[in-house]
Amino acid sequence: MATHTASAHGGRDRAEGRPTPTFQDVIMNLQRYWADQGCVILQPYDNEVGAGTNAPATTLRSLGPDTWRTAYVQGCRRPTDGRYGENPNRTQFYYQFQVLMKPSPDDIQELYLGSLRAIGIDVDAHDVRFVEDDWESPTLGAWGLGWEVWIDGMEVTQFTYFQQVGGFECAPVPVEIAYGLERLTMYIQGVDSMFDIVWSRGADGVVFTYGDVYLENERQYSRYNFEVADTDFLFQEFNDREAECLRTLEAGLPLPAYDSVLKCCHAFNLLDARGVISATERMAYILRVRTLAKACCASYMEHVVGIVPAEEGESAAEAAGKEDGRE
Amino acid sequence: MSNLHTLAFEIGTEEIPAFDLHRATAQLARLVPDALDAVRILHGEVTVHTTPRRLVAIVEDVAERTEALTETFRGPSVKIAFDADGNPTKAAVGFARGKGVDVGSLEVREEKGVEHVFATRRVEARDAADLLPEVLEGVIVGISWPKSCRWGSTSEYFSRPVRWIVAMLDERVVPVRFAGLEAGNLTRGHRFLAPGPHEVPTARALLDVLEAAHVVTSEGARERAIREGVARVEQECGAHAELPEKTLLEVVNLCEQPTVLAGAFDEEFLQVPEEIIVDAMLMHQRYFPLYDGDGKLTNRFIVVSNGDPACASTIVDGNERVVRARLSDAKFFYEEDLKRPLEAYVERLDEVVFQESLGTMRAKAERITALARHLAADAGLSPADAADAERAAHLAKADLVTSAVVEFTSVQGVMGSYYAAACGEGEKVARAIADHYRPRFAGDELPASAAGRVVAMADKLDTICGLIAVGQGPTGSSDPFALRRSALGILSMLLDEALPLRIGLLRAIDEALSSYARQGVAFDAQVVRDEVADFFVARAKVLLRDEGRAPDAIDAVLAAGVREPVEFVSRVRALDAAREGDPDAFADLATAYARANNLRDASLGAEVDEALLTEVEHALSCAVVQAEGRVARALAADDYPSALAELASLRKPVDLFFERVMVMDEDRALRENRLRLLNRFVAVFEGVADFGKMAKGK
Repeated sequence: MATHTASAHGGRDRAEGRPTPTFQDVIMNLQRYWADQGCVILQPYDNEVGAGTNAPATTLRSLGPDTWRTAYVQGCRRPTDGRYGENPNRTQFYYQFQVLMKPSPDDIQELYLGSLRAIGIDVDAHDVRFVEDDWESPTLGAWGLGWEVWIDGMEVTQFTYFQQVGGFECAPVPVEIAYGLERLTMYIQGVDSMFDIVWSRGADGVVFTYGDVYLENERQYSRYNFEVADTDFLFQEFNDREAECLRTLEAGLPLPAYDSVLKCCHAFNLLDARGVISATERMAYILRVRTLAKACCASYMEHVVGIVPAEEGESAAEAAGKEDGRE
Repeated sequence: MSNLHTLAFEIGTEEIPAFDLHRATAQLARLVPDALDAVRILHGEVTVHTTPRRLVAIVEDVAERTEALTETFRGPSVKIAFDADGNPTKAAVGFARGKGVDVGSLEVREEKGVEHVFATRRVEARDAADLLPEVLEGVIVGISWPKSCRWGSTSEYFSRPVRWIVAMLDERVVPVRFAGLEAGNLTRGHRFLAPGPHEVPTARALLDVLEAAHVVTSEGARERAIREGVARVEQECGAHAELPEKTLLEVVNLCEQPTVLAGAFDEEFLQVPEEIIVDAMLMHQRYFPLYDGDGKLTNRFIVVSNGDPACASTIVDGNERVVRARLSDAKFFYEEDLKRPLEAYVERLDEVVFQESLGTMRAKAERITALARHLAADAGLSPADAADAERAAHLAKADLVTSAVVEFTSVQGVMGSYYAAACGEGEKVARAIADHYRPRFAGDELPASAAGRVVAMADKLDTICGLIAVGQGPTGSSDPFALRRSALGILSMLLDEALPLRIGLLRAIDEALSSYARQGVAFDAQVVRDEVADFFVARAKVLLRDEGRAPDAIDAVLAAGVREPVEFVSRVRALDAAREGDPDAFADLATAYARANNLRDASLGAEVDEALLTEVEHALSCAVVQAEGRVARALAADDYPSALAELASLRKPVDLFFERVMVMDEDRALRENRLRLLNRFVAVFEGVADFGKMAKGK
């Protein structure tokens, strides 16, 4: 429901007289900023993904020697994180702002800090830190090194130099920057619940909050994910999509085949939320998804990049095994 | 002297992970001097300074030139080096090539009566400045990282991308190259307070330039600054901060210029168990919690900031909001978890894998319940204690699937005990659940009650047996499941005299393994049983050595065939203590034993003919007969010290025997009778200790 209040918060913006940016201001400012850095501004990928990384513009385009720069908003679905709209910090659907630049520019940290300035965060007046946080995706056969970025102790961004994707070495190395848009905006607007985020503010003072836009969505999807989704249908969907993926790969079409990987992931995530995947089955499903994802990457290398991949699976597994050795 | 210079070397990076940085700091202090020494660049003191964004080495008194050197190498003998016609053989050519000299330059000289060819190589003096680029590149490459990455279009690896290099010999830039960069005289300061670039006029000035640019260049100085700041906050708010070593090290290496600030959260959150709040602050945020005079957690905490001290209030405000969000999460999880009894979480343990081949946590919970039952019975616990142990074992792992523990992992066990108490489980059961991860490290507090110890032992023994059964036991320095620590934990509980638990570890191992077998895990029970028992004995040896027990006493007890690890430890302790009380007597006894043991002839048996014995022999025979009975009784009563005392009583008669009696008499009957007596003497020691291991010069 729209409310007629002026911004309730002075905001964390130190600049006088400027209204606190809305959620959509943050998005548009990030898009403008990264467009100025030469990125292709894409619109969200039209398939369910668990993270901006999983969209093909990141996963597949990370492969191969060509330069690639993109930035896009991505809605992410994590069925198990649903809280029926009752937790102020956790939802089964949320937005990431994803930046991918290959090769990683030498001044990428400075560019990133510039993007924070562009959305109204005076980084010189805060405590901004790059805290070790390495990334590994068991379903994508991918890993990288990097940080989570903290502003005054709040994690707002994941920053990663991709080393491998789909078991293939990334050369040149792409850098991925994934902003948690709700976190970041809560911080900028000084609100403690993501549902209180001001999404838009009209010239006449009409305000729409994040809750206005998404609270009902959270309630319904939490119920669907945890209680209603038909598990037989989902198991069948997983199997069908797996077969479809392999069939599509045989036709030498990694891009549409990859859509089936995403469908499998989402079916698996829903089954997980429904609590019907036991701990021992879990690994087996993850392995099935990884096999498909790797096959898509291999096909992309062959048909798009034009490099017939050697059997890198083993060395990749070894490298990943080596990386597991931490702490 | 004018021809000595200062070398400054800085590898400028993006933020290096805190613990990796700490290890690299130690490596650098070796790598730099080693690299200089390897090319004979004479130098003075090397100091190393590191921050998350830079590794710096300053080398004093670097000589202008290396010293010239003449090296001589001995090659093959002349016979081998030249053929019949006096031409150099392949061996000679190879030797010359290997040393980098012309084969014609080999000289023939005699050494120890044999003529050899010799190669002489002269290494000319060189300018240090010419050698340094390569030396310093070697240092960059030589640092080993637990994890390293590539970046951009380069193929070099480093912990995180290298963005600038400063390398200067006094005012001169040393052109070190790495990953597309070339060293210069420009450094960078604190990322926000003085980013730079800043020009470094001369090597000696580098640290001053950095300090002026808000960079506290050494780990030690940052730690001091943090400790001083913490002390100031403690004084201001009359509270006391805990600074766990690991978190402190991390905090020290997460900033270039630390500022210690104090924040607070709403007192309402203090209703949430303290452990979750502490976990949220220490593990997730790297804050230090503050405690009042009674050791109770307060609603204040310490943040170490890397930001502008002038912006302290903004930074504190931001951190307080983060804590509020974290703690309201924690409170939410805690309250959600409390809505169901702990028992309800047990069945959800089948969603958590214990180990790939060993099934889920639920299966583990069932196994440790059975094992706890066995241990309680074996230890003869009261029915009430035994019931508590079994109940606690059943519930011990249930909190792993509660939201609070999923989110704040370090509070496992503790949360289980809160939930157990909240749903009406007995206080002892709750305490045993909290305690069952103890001891978590050497010297940690042991579980308070017998029930707690039984559960802790069951859990640890189950893990040890299972992983060894599937070939995942520790190897070399790798012990990913911390089995060694677990085994030591079990031993320290079994050996604790304050709360004696008489439990047969070998029986318990069998029990644990049979649970796995029933579950369908395939392994060779006999082989694994021995492997686990050996593993415990090996741990026990380490424990004994760490206590300073004599290695020969350890070997002596082990050679007597004791298998029960606790038995083994207490025997070594008793033996070592007894020997300490009378070292000469034990040395004598050991010598006599060794002598008897060498002479004895098992084929003759131990039936001594009394009629043939002289007085001295008879005295020994009587002493042996008496000791036999007493040692057996003492061992049966687990009274090892008495058994040792009995053996010690044999010293006089056996000494006298060897002094007065000629064992290897020409008369066969006498000789064999004496050997039979020695056989019988040696047999008394069996099952106590192999004293031969303690004889000097055996």
